[in-house]
Amino acid sequence: MDRLRRGDPRAFEELVIAYQHRVFGVALRMLGSRAEAEEAAQEVFLRAHRAIADFRGDAKLSTWLYAIASRLCMNRLASGERRLLREGEETLARIPSGHASPADELERSERDAALHRAIAELSDERRMVVVLRDLEGLSYEEIASALDLELGTVRSRLHRARMDLKEKLERFLS
Amino acid sequence: MTCHDAREQLSALIDDALGAAERSAVEEHLATCAECRRELERLRGTVALLRAVEPARAPAGFVDRVLEAARPEPWPRRLFRALLLPWPVKLPIEAAAIVLVAVGVVYVFRSTLEPARFYDAPPSGTTMLSDTAPPSSDASREAARPEATRAPEATRAKETARTLEGARPQEAVRAREAERAPEAAKAKERDRAPEKQALEKKSPEGPPAAKTTPAPEAFKEAGQQSKDADERRAKLDDTARDVAKRQANVPPATPGETRSASKLEESPARAERSQEAAGARTRSQAREPEPRTDTLQAPRPAAPAPAIASFAAPDVSGRLAVADRDAALQNLAPLLARLGGVEDRRFVGDEGPIVELTIPREAYPELLRDLAALGRWQLVREAPALPEKVRVVLRITR
Repeated sequence: MDRLRRGDPRAFEELVIAYQHRVFGVALRMLGSRAEAEEAAQEVFLRAHRAIADFRGDAKLSTWLYAIASRLCMNRLASGERRLLREGEETLARIPSGHASPADELERSERDAALHRAIAELSDERRMVVVLRDLEGLSYEEIASALDLELGTVRSRLHRARMDLKEKLERFLS
Repeated sequence: MTCHDAREQLSALIDDALGAAERSAVEEHLATCAECRRELERLRGTVALLRAVEPARAPAGFVDRVLEAARPEPWPRRLFRALLLPWPVKLPIEAAAIVLVAVGVVYVFRSTLEPARFYDAPPSGTTMLSDTAPPSSDASREAARPEATRAPEATRAKETARTLEGARPQEAVRAREAERAPEAAKAKERDRAPEKQALEKKSPEGPPAAKTTPAPEAFKEAGQQSKDADERRAKLDDTARDVAKRQANVPPATPGETRSASKLEESPARAERSQEAAGARTRSQAREPEPRTDTLQAPRPAAPAPAIASFAAPDVSGRLAVADRDAALQNLAPLLARLGGVEDRRFVGDEGPIVELTIPREAYPELLRDLAALGRWQLVREAPALPEKVRVVLRITR
């Protein structure tokens, strides 16, 4: 952290390497387009680079980055400038087939497509919470910090999001 | 706990985010409610599906692109931008500034030098002019005025310039009438010669040659000029004619009046600018003789314009060699006050201050005595006939 604050380019490079996939993942699932997600993720790191001296250190560095990323994504979503086209399942990495049988793989593919579609159909606010919690693994407290929300709001918003997803994925939950 | 309340807590239960009391209450309900247990299982399955999603991976080269975008510009490029790129903007500004400064310097230098050059010039010019000037000839006095001293006249507004041009023939005509004063014309011609040369920025070799010009010829030439037609000057506007006619009945100006008559801009700078106009006018006169009516014989307007006196030839000039020039200057003021004189201007010459003053003719002898008391007084020139108000130029030297 000190090296980052001193402007050590090597430290910044390590930061980008360490968090690139997570920041990109949030952007991808929020914005839906890989190109737009890369652009947004790059902007997140550039903002972090410019503002690193202002980072107080009272939150985790990852939370700080998620906060920047979520704010940037929400602003883009709210601005209306972004493309409305959602790439849907194309935007999300395919789950590797592994050694599953073709039938299993087909079922899995269908389930993942439904899952990604269901995520994409969530409202922006609920999608953000569920992405941070279930895809990125943040704690409630971290989410509340990153999104600047009350803990109870995070809990209820997450529950609503999961309930929405459960209804859409009912047939895969037997 | 109702089923609704319990189901609201299922998400937090899965995430182990409930307090101990909440958790036990929910678990207690679940133990008794199969439907809620099934709901919990489906929710667990949904979360499991979500968490099974493979994390997204940033595209290849993402880190390099971020680092490239975040990298500060290399210093040569920054230097290049700082030094070279603004040039299209900076260069014209700098060039304009240089030109402005150069023009300003030349302007100031020339305007400040001009009076000093006049007074610092060796007495060959003005002194001899006055020495040869006939007594009580206003025309000759006017003629004796170097063109430089007349230059400011041309700086007036167009109307004023025309008025002056209209008035100028009066000098020539009057001088022609009084051919008993041929030296005046000679002086005039001689004086214009160096002036022209000065305007053309040539070395002042003209004055000695011009001095030999026969005065009557000069005046005849002037008279000839007066007779010949010049269409341009014939187009004098009504204003100029009115002014000239109004002046026609005014008696010849005394030196003081002459000074005041000019009513001209006193700025040396303007005088400098106007020199070209005056010179051009002189040349124009030489080429294109012009008609000068008798109605234009009037002396110049008598409106006060003391500043122009600075450029008129003095009646008396001399050097006052003193040990302490500052003290001499200080002593001069009460002396003038006592004699009824006025200090008109003060310059800084090459050898020391140059003071131009005006003093009543009756007090002039006393002035000379007092000057002699102040230091070593050397009279350089003195007009044979002094006007009522004697203009004296003192060069105070060591």
